[in-house]
Amino acid sequence: MLSLWLPRLSTDRIVRWRDSSPSPRLRGEGRGEGLLEAQTRGNAPSPACHRCATAGDLSPHAGRGERALVIYGKRGNAELLVAVDEAAERLGLSPGLALAQARAMHPAIEAIEEDAEADSQLLDKIADWCLRYTPLAAVDAPDGLLLDIGGCTHLYGGEQALIADLAARLERAGFAFSIAVAGTIGAAWAAAHHGEPESYKGGEERALLSPLPLAALRLPPEIVAGLARVGLKRIGDIVDLPRAPLAARFGAELLRQLDRALGREHEPLNPRLPIAPYVAEQRFAEPIAREEDVLGTVARLAVRLQFALERRGDGARRIELTLFRTDGELRRIAAGTSRPLRDPAQIRALFVERLNALADEFDPGFGFDMARLSVMVAEPCPPEQIGIGGGEDSAELDRLVDRLSARLGARRVRRLIAQDSHIPEIAAVSVPAQAALAAATDGGWQAYRHYCAEAELAPRPLRLLARPEPIEAIAEVPDGPPLRFRWRRALHEVIAADGPERIEGAWWSEQGGPARDYFRVEDKSGLRFWLFRSGLYRDLRREDLAHGAAAPTWFMHGMYA
Amino acid sequence: MLEQLRQRLQAMQKPVALDGAPGCLPLGVKPIDATLGGGLARGALHEIAAPSEAHLAAATGFAAGLAALRSDARAPSPRLRGEGRGEGVFPNTQNRGNAPSPDRLRHSASKTRVNALMAQTVDLSPHAGRGERHRLAWIAEDTALVESGALCGLGLDAFGLPPERLLTVAAARTQDLLWAMEEALHCRAVGTVIGEWRHGAIDPVAVRRLSLAAADGGALALLLRTAPMNDLSTAATRWIVGAAPTVIPYGFRSRGLTPASRNDEEIIPRFAAHLVRNRRGPTGSWILQWSEADEHFLLAPHAQPVAAPALDRPHRQVA
Repeated sequence: MLSLWLPRLSTDRIVRWRDSSPSPRLRGEGRGEGLLEAQTRGNAPSPACHRCATAGDLSPHAGRGERALVIYGKRGNAELLVAVDEAAERLGLSPGLALAQARAMHPAIEAIEEDAEADSQLLDKIADWCLRYTPLAAVDAPDGLLLDIGGCTHLYGGEQALIADLAARLERAGFAFSIAVAGTIGAAWAAAHHGEPESYKGGEERALLSPLPLAALRLPPEIVAGLARVGLKRIGDIVDLPRAPLAARFGAELLRQLDRALGREHEPLNPRLPIAPYVAEQRFAEPIAREEDVLGTVARLAVRLQFALERRGDGARRIELTLFRTDGELRRIAAGTSRPLRDPAQIRALFVERLNALADEFDPGFGFDMARLSVMVAEPCPPEQIGIGGGEDSAELDRLVDRLSARLGARRVRRLIAQDSHIPEIAAVSVPAQAALAAATDGGWQAYRHYCAEAELAPRPLRLLARPEPIEAIAEVPDGPPLRFRWRRALHEVIAADGPERIEGAWWSEQGGPARDYFRVEDKSGLRFWLFRSGLYRDLRREDLAHGAAAPTWFMHGMYA
Repeated sequence: MLEQLRQRLQAMQKPVALDGAPGCLPLGVKPIDATLGGGLARGALHEIAAPSEAHLAAATGFAAGLAALRSDARAPSPRLRGEGRGEGVFPNTQNRGNAPSPDRLRHSASKTRVNALMAQTVDLSPHAGRGERHRLAWIAEDTALVESGALCGLGLDAFGLPPERLLTVAAARTQDLLWAMEEALHCRAVGTVIGEWRHGAIDPVAVRRLSLAAADGGALALLLRTAPMNDLSTAATRWIVGAAPTVIPYGFRSRGLTPASRNDEEIIPRFAAHLVRNRRGPTGSWILQWSEADEHFLLAPHAQPVAAPALDRPHRQVA
């Protein structure tokens, strides 16, 4: 378990976007820059600005001549410092101090209001970027990350190499950090925040934790203060104490945190992203940027996934391609399929469409140095039968659906299904084709035909308006068809009408609306429409009308051929 | 030399025959099929335009009718399989071209119901119509769907086009529409591709691409448009299809409007179809009617000439 602490996240963020936008006018736009781009300016923070840097250190910041930077925020009614940069710390400022007091001590400091939103966005971005090390990356708010690197270290040639790689990249990006590896989340966290940030083996937790202060157990401040009052300051002080009195006095939380840190109790990690059941990845010595190279990589990775999928008899329903840009940005491209898929050629074809659709958004920058293809959703995929029954035909259609969905978006490619309802706009709806194919192939139309025949329904129009449009109509009272009506500013004279067909609203629902009387009408020029009157004239009482109650209104709902 | 080249070109432009299926889709109406030289060419692009926005539903119906037509009239459609129409091998050569009796029209609605009931007993799995590419892709722009409504599954079913066969695509831009049409035309499972290209002038290059894609895949490509302009295109035929009245307006109005009398008149799909461009033969105008009961076109019984005069007046020979 690796714990990464970014103690100066907020101040580093300010310094970084200042450095990345040379002109002061553009400063506000600097946030969109690459996350971990190599900074070329001389004033980039140096490796020396680790947490352990003490006031006596001669770091390059000292000679930079820049003003100390503090971040303040409102806590209760007071404006307190919430973060300070290294220069400010050397001046003796620390979080928790009142802003006014800090200004009195050092009038030259620069104070910026906190932006918790931007901080957490940056942290999320760093977490995403850490996916290159392990798929199990969790955000440890407000300024840390937890990575489960178990089983991933060999990809980098060992734990130390992985830590070195991570440290080098963070340094280049200009973050102050502290990394610790230990057997449990609690121990790694404690070591990163309060101990010597290095790598500990499993089983060393006790030795590691004993000298650390109790705050390293991630306890609420009240409990730490309460323990301090009875003289318990270090973790070593409570490890061997009888448990029952401790629990009775300070609550179960204390013991649970202790047990978790010591590995007596399992602590679950809450990864930021869902874990893909199948993953294949590839790193590149030289960054790749061309689309053909990316697609070639997809095909290669898909071949590897194919073996894994075949072994378990699965097929992919949703595939995600993650591309890691050299400057730390991530490109995530997902494609859905309408049937479980494991043919590399078809997977590649899906991404051809996705990349085409992205066009300009697909910005390789200086290239990608790693690619990962993950199957996000897998479903059992029976061995394919070729050339028997209609399978080939429908497979061909599924491929078309997948291609169209990949390029245009899954919600744009739809199929019509019938639903069990008498209200026309609900009775037939369209659903995304990729979802519909997995469901019943019939789409409910058999049942609808049966119902239609039983109920002797009048034919419905070919085209149905998305929502009925109000029309001005002159009709016979109480329930006659309209004689003439005006729709979209054109007057239509009705010469034939069929109806009414009364369709009750959804009376069981609040939004049901009144009953509708539908008419099929034909106008003089042969246009055929489906109109309805919402509400009944007989429900209107004279006194209501006198009070200005609305008379039943007419609506245009559809057009017949 | 020139002549030879022309012949070769002509040979290349011939509609591609599907394996087993003919290269033409007969409409089942004798004068039209004669004009078209056997029927609407498959593997080619056809334009269907509504004379105005209001008539779009009629043009939609015409296109849906073409999609619902079955090229092999021998095999009854899945909807009808239980009926057992023993009409011989080529029913459309016997009596489809003739005007049906009024009785037949009046009963068409109840017949639909019977068919629907009969269909219960029949296997209607999606593989029932295997090998005849009965899938249909309907591709439209978003704006079109908002302006004139989306296809209604219930209406299509009543019309005789089973909605199971339909795949609808909403395209945000014209380029997407054209791309999706091309993709669908290349798909071997799709027999008919209908694109609603409503806005803007038609781009001859795009139409040419679509024609080539259609010829390559062998599917029937229909382009649905409104307010046709007389622009150049490589489409095999261009139709202007509007709604035609099913009742005679003036006679009817003089009788007075009483609900009972109006309910006598049956409202059925009827089109005024003008073939204004035909690369393989003459043009013409017809008043057609769609029989929802057994899914075929027939000439309207009271065919009257509509506003635009027919160029070669083929209806005279029929009436």
